[in-house]
Amino acid sequence: MAVYKRRYNSYTGSLTPTWSRFFVLTRFAFADLFKSRFFVLLLILCIIPCLFSAGYIFVANNKTLQLLIQLRSVDFFKVENQYFIVILMGQAWAAFFLNCWVGPVLISGDLTNGALPLFLSRPFSRADYVLGKLAVLGLLLSAITWIPCLLLFGLQSGLAHNGWIWSHLWMVVPIVLCSAIWILTLSLLSLAVSAWVKLRIVATGVIFITFFIPAGLGEMFNHIMGTYWGALLNFSNMFQIIVERGFRDPYSLLDRMSRHEIPIPAAWASLIFVCLLSLVILNARLRARETVHG
Amino acid sequence: MELRARQIRNNIQTMTPTIELGGLEVQLGGRTILHGLTGVLKSRAIGLLGPNGAGKSTLINTLLGFHVPSKGSVRVLGLDSHTSGKALRSLVGYMPENDAFISKMSGVRFVRYMAEISGLPSEQAMERAHEAFVYVGLGEARYRPVGTYSLGMKQLAKLAQAIAHGPKVLILDEPTNGMDPPARKRLIELIREIREASDICLLLSSHLLRDVEETCDEVLILRNGQIASICNLVEERRANRKFLELETIGAEATFTSALEGLGCECAVFTSGRIKVVMPDSVEIREVFKVAADRGVQIRRMNHRRDSLEDIFLNAMEQTGVADGRL
Repeated sequence: MAVYKRRYNSYTGSLTPTWSRFFVLTRFAFADLFKSRFFVLLLILCIIPCLFSAGYIFVANNKTLQLLIQLRSVDFFKVENQYFIVILMGQAWAAFFLNCWVGPVLISGDLTNGALPLFLSRPFSRADYVLGKLAVLGLLLSAITWIPCLLLFGLQSGLAHNGWIWSHLWMVVPIVLCSAIWILTLSLLSLAVSAWVKLRIVATGVIFITFFIPAGLGEMFNHIMGTYWGALLNFSNMFQIIVERGFRDPYSLLDRMSRHEIPIPAAWASLIFVCLLSLVILNARLRARETVHG
Repeated sequence: MELRARQIRNNIQTMTPTIELGGLEVQLGGRTILHGLTGVLKSRAIGLLGPNGAGKSTLINTLLGFHVPSKGSVRVLGLDSHTSGKALRSLVGYMPENDAFISKMSGVRFVRYMAEISGLPSEQAMERAHEAFVYVGLGEARYRPVGTYSLGMKQLAKLAQAIAHGPKVLILDEPTNGMDPPARKRLIELIREIREASDICLLLSSHLLRDVEETCDEVLILRNGQIASICNLVEERRANRKFLELETIGAEATFTSALEGLGCECAVFTSGRIKVVMPDSVEIREVFKVAADRGVQIRRMNHRRDSLEDIFLNAMEQTGVADGRL
C-alpha cells in the first residue's frame, strides 16, 4: 500500500521464524554501535595486536628474514603454548575494555524510557531479549579473542612444517573454551550492570569496581585469615589460572604465586558464579511491570 | 503459527467471545488486586472503565501475560493468557499508558524495530513503519528522535508501533493521556477508523468516559478489583431509542389506545405527558402518523438518554459485587 493512502490495513504477509527474532536486537545494536567513531577506533585498537602477532608468526617461520634481521637466538621466535597464552591474555584484557564501553548501554537505553513492555508484549520472551543482547557482546568479543587466536593458529599451522598442526591441535580446545567462559562472564556482568545503572560512566565504573574491589577484598581476607581462598574473588586471576592450566603451561601463575591449593574446578566455579549472579540480577530487573510489595 | 492464525480468524468469524474471564484472581506483592472476575465480553470494541486503582492496568497486564493469575483464567479470542501467552501476544498490538520508547532512535526506526520483533521481515517492517507513521499523522516528524517528540506525538508514536505489524487485537491503555482536545479528537477518530477498516478487536482502557463512549460497543466497569458492571452499549442505545417521553396537546384516550394497538406500552401523566415504550417493530414515524391522524400535537419528544456516565455512576453506587448486566 502506498503511504499517501493513509488508511489502516492489516498485515497479511509472511513472518520471520520465531527463533530468529532475537537477532533483530543484535542487528539494531550493531547498527547503533558502528555509528560511533570512538567504538570503531576501539575495535581497531583491539585487533591491532593480532596483526603484530601474525607478523611475529611470519618471522618465526621465515629463516631468511631471521638472517636478515641478524637474530642471534633461534629460540626467540618460538610459537608454542606460551605464545598463545600471551596472545589470549592480551586479547582478554582488550575484550574487558571493549566490554566496558559497549555493555553498559545495551539494556539501560531500553529501561530508561520504559521500552521493555513493548518488547515483552510481543511474541518475544525475556530469554529472547537477553539472548539478543548477549549476542551483541558475544559476537563482538569473539571477534577479538578466540577468532583471531584460531586464525593465528591456522597461520602458524600453514607456515610451520614437521606436522606442527597435529602436535598442537589440542590447543584449539583451550582457545575456544577459555575465551567462551571469559566472554560469558564479561557479557553477563555488563548486561546485569546495564540493567541496574542507567548512566554509562557510572555503569563502566561499576564494572571496574566489580573486578578490582573484590580482588582487593580477597587479598585482605587472605592476609587476615592466612588462607588462599580469597583469591577466588580475583576473577582475572582465576581466568589466568584457567588459561595457563588449559594450555599446560609449566611456569604458570599458579606456581609462581604459590597458589597450588586452588583447584582448577574452583577457578571455573568462581567465574560461573559471576555468570549465575548476573543472571539472577537480570531476572530481577527485566520485568515488564514492577510489583510493589507490601 | 499459521495454523494458530487460521484458528484465530475462525474464532473471529464464529463469534468466539473476545474476552472470557473465568474467576480471574491476580495477586501482586501479597495483595489481591483482581478478585475472581467472571464474565464474557463479545463485542469487537471493549471499553475498560474504572476509577484509579480499580485494576484496569492489572487486567491488561494479565491479558498480556505480564502477571500470572493466582486463580482462574482469562482468554482472549479463545487463547489462554497464561498457557498460550506467546500465541496470544503474536495477535496483540499494545499501547502502554506510560512512556515507552527508545529516545535516541528516530520515530520510523523505532516502529520498524518493533515491527521486526513482531516477526515482519525487514523490508516489510520498514514499509509498514512508514505507513503507520503517516497514518497517525506524524509523517513529517518520522526521522526525528522519539525523545524530542511532544507528549501528544509520543502517544501517536506509541499507537504507530502498536498497529505497524497489523495486530488482531489492539490494546490501548489510557491512549489520550496528556493530549490537548484537538489531538485527543484526532486520536479517537484514528481509533474508530482502525476499528472500522479491519476485523481488529479493540480493548481500550480509560477513565475518560467520552473516549470509551465514542469508540466502544461494550464496557467492563471495574471497582476495587471487582466487576461493577458489564454493559453492552449497542443494546443500551437501541433500548433507549425505544423509550419515548412525549408532551402532547389534545391527546385523548383514543391516541394512547391507537399506540397500544401498534404494540406500544403507554403511561399517561398530567398535562398531556405520556411515556411510551415501543416494540422493536415500531418506528417513531408511526407515532407521528397516529398523532397526525388524531389531530394530536406533539410539542416535545425525548428519547431516554441513559449516557455512559449514568451507567458508570450507577455501577459505582452499587454495593457489593455486581456480576450481571445493567
